[in-house]
Amino acid sequence: MDRGQYLAVMAACLVVTAPLEWLFDARVYRRPLRTVRAMLPVVVAFYLWDAVAIARGHWTFDPGYVTGWTMPLGVPFDELTFFVVVPLCALLSYESVRNIRDGRVAWLSALLGRRSPAPAERGGTGASA
Amino acid sequence: MEYSFLAVASVAVVLAYELLWLRSGLLSDARYWLTMAICFGFMLLVNGWFTKLTAPIVIYDPDRMLGWRVPWDIPVEDYLFGWSLLTSVLARWKALDVPRGSRRWSAGLPDASAVPDRDVQS
Repeated sequence: MDRGQYLAVMAACLVVTAPLEWLFDARVYRRPLRTVRAMLPVVVAFYLWDAVAIARGHWTFDPGYVTGWTMPLGVPFDELTFFVVVPLCALLSYESVRNIRDGRVAWLSALLGRRSPAPAERGGTGASA
Repeated sequence: MEYSFLAVASVAVVLAYELLWLRSGLLSDARYWLTMAICFGFMLLVNGWFTKLTAPIVIYDPDRMLGWRVPWDIPVEDYLFGWSLLTSVLARWKALDVPRGSRRWSAGLPDASAVPDRDVQS
């Protein structure tokens, strides 16, 4: 049970941020290609950094809290999930902040009783590009 | 101090990547900094849990870092690590804010300067 602790934290991050996709129309999961394009090289870079850090003993993982599944170059599977989940959360946050700040969240604008401040074309329908 | 050095170097690399290559304008976007503030809050929770010295999930070699831990037991280097991870992804994401059908969009990310306003503001 405890060996799933790392993954449980990652799962919690996904669960907590998932509603942003619809609540604020983040459209991250609905743009999978763009998401992969944005994330892939970064995931690879940080995976390699992790591999170097582990190989050189910068950090290790308590075997009691991780799955024990090891990926190429000695990187725990748990760490790979981190490099995917954390950027996903950030993208969902960024797109949510953007839509809110730009007045593109229709229900929120209605709630606040203000018309969409965004230049006309979008009309505050809640849908973005 | 290797981790400290790599953490600082990562920030320099990401800054250069954004400012010289992607030029997405992310760093002058207030919405980016607001996003980072929000993510920073959640990072404290997640990283605080991962690094707490009473039952750490990630165990650091004290000889490879400064040893400054703020707050709780979070190594200061982790903030730079997190900044680099998030900023590089967000910068690439923003650099993809190019009108559909643009050749640049399919060709990849460089040369944002040719597209003055890549950020579809409205």
